[in-house]
Amino acid sequence: MQILKVENISKIYGSSKRDKEYMALKNISFEVIQGEFIGVMGASGSGKTTLLNILGSIDKPTTGKIIMEGKDIAKYSKNQLSTHRMKNIGFIFQDYNLLETMTLKENIILPLALHGTKINDIENRLSVLVKDLGILNVLDKYPYEVSGGEQQRAAACRALITQPKIILADEPTGNLDSKSGKDLLHLLTYINDEYNATILMVTHDVFAASYCKKIMFIRDGEIYNELHAGNDKKQFFDSIIDVMSVLGGEER
Amino acid sequence: MNLLDLALRNIKNNIKKHIMFFFSMTFSVFTVYTFLALVQNQQVNDAFIYDGRYRAVLLAFGVIIMVFVMFFLISSNNSFIKARKREISTYSLFGMSHGRIGKLIFLETLLVGLTSLATGIGVGIFFSKLTTMILLSVTVISFSGDVALDIDLKAIYLTAIMFISVFSMMGLSGLWVINRFQLVDLFKAEKRSEGKGKGSYILLIISLILIGWGYYLASSNNPYNLVMMAIPILVLVISGTYIFFWGGLPKVLSILKRNKRKYYRGVNLIAITSFSHRMRSISSVMATIAVLSAVATTAIATGFTLYSNIENNGYDTIGYDLFFYAGEDDGILQEVEEIFSRHDVEITQQAQVPLYRTYPKLEAIEIEGVTFYNEEYYFRVYSQTAYNELVNMSKSKIAPLEIASGKAVWFIRADVPRVMEIMKEQTLDFTDLNIEVSDVLVNTFLHFGSIYSLVLNDEDFSHLLLENQIVKEDKVGRGAGEVNVFNFNNALQNAELNSDLNKVLYQNAGGYRTAYSHYSEARETFGLISFIGFFMSGVFILMTASLLYFKQIMAAEEERHHYKTLRKIGMDYITEKRAITRRLLPVFAIPLLIGILHSIFAMKTADTMVFSHLMPMGNSYRKVLFFSSMMYGAYGFVYSIFYFITKGQYRKIIR
Ligand SMILES: Nc1ncnc2c1ncn2[C@@H]1O[C@H](COP(=O)(O)OP(=O)(O)OP(=O)(O)O)[C@@H](O)[C@H]1O
Ligand SMILES: [Mg+2]
Repeated sequence: MQILKVENISKIYGSSKRDKEYMALKNISFEVIQGEFIGVMGASGSGKTTLLNILGSIDKPTTGKIIMEGKDIAKYSKNQLSTHRMKNIGFIFQDYNLLETMTLKENIILPLALHGTKINDIENRLSVLVKDLGILNVLDKYPYEVSGGEQQRAAACRALITQPKIILADEPTGNLDSKSGKDLLHLLTYINDEYNATILMVTHDVFAASYCKKIMFIRDGEIYNELHAGNDKKQFFDSIIDVMSVLGGEER
Repeated sequence: MNLLDLALRNIKNNIKKHIMFFFSMTFSVFTVYTFLALVQNQQVNDAFIYDGRYRAVLLAFGVIIMVFVMFFLISSNNSFIKARKREISTYSLFGMSHGRIGKLIFLETLLVGLTSLATGIGVGIFFSKLTTMILLSVTVISFSGDVALDIDLKAIYLTAIMFISVFSMMGLSGLWVINRFQLVDLFKAEKRSEGKGKGSYILLIISLILIGWGYYLASSNNPYNLVMMAIPILVLVISGTYIFFWGGLPKVLSILKRNKRKYYRGVNLIAITSFSHRMRSISSVMATIAVLSAVATTAIATGFTLYSNIENNGYDTIGYDLFFYAGEDDGILQEVEEIFSRHDVEITQQAQVPLYRTYPKLEAIEIEGVTFYNEEYYFRVYSQTAYNELVNMSKSKIAPLEIASGKAVWFIRADVPRVMEIMKEQTLDFTDLNIEVSDVLVNTFLHFGSIYSLVLNDEDFSHLLLENQIVKEDKVGRGAGEVNVFNFNNALQNAELNSDLNKVLYQNAGGYRTAYSHYSEARETFGLISFIGFFMSGVFILMTASLLYFKQIMAAEEERHHYKTLRKIGMDYITEKRAITRRLLPVFAIPLLIGILHSIFAMKTADTMVFSHLMPMGNSYRKVLFFSSMMYGAYGFVYSIFYFITKGQYRKIIR
């Protein structure tokens, strides 16, 4: 099932007269199918974050359409967008962005609370998720009282609890040491497999990318190439490195 | 770019926040300058008849204001600096030393400070004529309405010195705050809790008990108790308030959190969590505001009420425009009458009433070691007719009496219910007659030298007089002979007449009062209190409100990443607006509401102590409440202006 269809989106920064115009995205089109785990890679400044923000409706494309459930999100009003974000999109941020004023539980239910969901619903959805992700015992603690991995899982829960159509992650492993990076990737894979969640993840990291089922490479605001994971993980890894060396993205 | 340029540029960029400083500092400079200038002012000095007391009072309050201003400016400044953490860490990142950053911030403070110093003094000089006139017209009776403009160098110089030292202290404590910043703070959002303070049931209950107990004591109707209990009441309520804000309010929030249905609404969740997260940094300020606003409001409302009632009060206290009881010189009455004719003032009523005393036998009255009556006391005694004549002539609202034979009314000077209860049960034992006390009443002016007075039925009086149980005062010593009472035209306006009367009576009379002196003394005192109260509360409102402002701005800086996240999660604009309202409103409203609650009880106490007891007057509680609700109206008005400014800034910051 198709979740998202991107048609010819471009993004031009600095459209006011004084600034120099800069085209960060050029005529990008692609589709996202239910259950995909897509990696987005490219050199620094190639437009990955811009793309992700547009998909997440935090930013608007200059031209082009983003079709979800048959409607063009680019045409939504501000308030429609908020509702759309709340219902359809889950974010996992680089440093989790859990609010330090709230307990993990409060952080996780925040999107539902904003949505005005009934408590019973909230509690039901919460209990299934947190048991599954193993943070039941730390729910009433504050973010700074729990480990990085637990924060990460809480952030994942927050992204999942609205049962979004698509989960967007911008360099989620960027700040992590290799062990917690790996944990997060396992977590995303788990979510992808168990919940059949659709995930789109921007990353610089070839190792992280190798967890994806499909990789989109972006160069100068255009889609340069796509790679599909086969059965052989090693081979997938190598071909990513090959493309990246052409693109000049640094490895970490 | 040198430091000065940088400082000027920073001020320009942060103009809104600096303007906040500018206003509150300017007003405090204005107030302090005005007070100092008034202390120096020769005209005011001459106008105040009752010694140099006004100077001491103005100076004392000037000092209190300075201390207050210092405390609030320093903490406002520290919050302001914390709110600018990102900016400051950026300087540090670019290699500026902490010392240099401190100098930069200090320079900014100094620039804004000196501007407001100059403005405040300028405004003070500009309005000095007006303020002097206001002070004189609220305090001095025969004020002609003409004041010379004078610029007082000493006041300027003192004000400048004091404020420059406050600015220096602001600079120093700012430096201390900056030195504690770490460069990494720039890159990390405030991850640690500032101390959310979970609160506890015990503290909540203790605080409620303390406050409730204080309220209970305060609402006692017994002024005698209240005087004894004043300090305990203050201690109970003040400590209760602080404990409530420290430990009780957080608990209330956590109780609110239990109501999941309400709590798990997005707006409440955001507002309550971030409010309780800030609790510790703001609870002391909130408690201080609650306490101070209650104290200030009560004091000022009491002052205003007294001030507005001086005339009525005066006559209830001293009864006539003039009375004196003769001393050794017989010619004194003649002299007084001569003064009146010299001043061409018509005496509207005049009477001479002989004074009597009596020594009935009754048991000593003693409560908790304080003697209220024993055989060393005597009574001034009137027949019903003589009493009614005196009362009818007086300008007080006291009603005449009807006394049955064998009964007496006992008059005391002040309202002390416990003692009065005992007195009411007494029987006065004269050799061949027992007279029952039928009532005990308060009167302040009919004693003419004695502590207690009695009014008897006419027949009983003449009987006892015949039996020599009642004796006429002889002409020697205090309380001697007879009393002369006068009412005359324009008694409260004629200063010269009053001073001539004073001269003669001071030397010759056994005791005397004039309504004019009483009135002008009361006016000076209460007028001054009201005047000072007005300025004090102005400074107080501005300072507390701007401290709250700066604390919230600081919070906004630390909370902006929340809103960034929240928007990504899908919080819409309206929810955001509502969340901010719910986040900020309690900060301004809770202390004010608790302050109001406190002062409702404090006003009751003031009413019992001052108005029912010392200076009885009708409807006093309502009047005090009226004045204080006016004051709270003003507080509410200023606070809501600050609230809206704060909200606007907060929203701008988190965008
Ligand atoms: N708000 C903006 N205004 C102007 N130009 C922008 C803005 N945001 C991004 N750009 C420019 O658009 C281009 C793409 O930026 P983007 O953040 O999408 O890159 P990226 O692929 O995420 O890079 P990185 O891997 O370094 O995060 C960059 O050249 C950047 O300078
Ligand atoms: Mg990026």
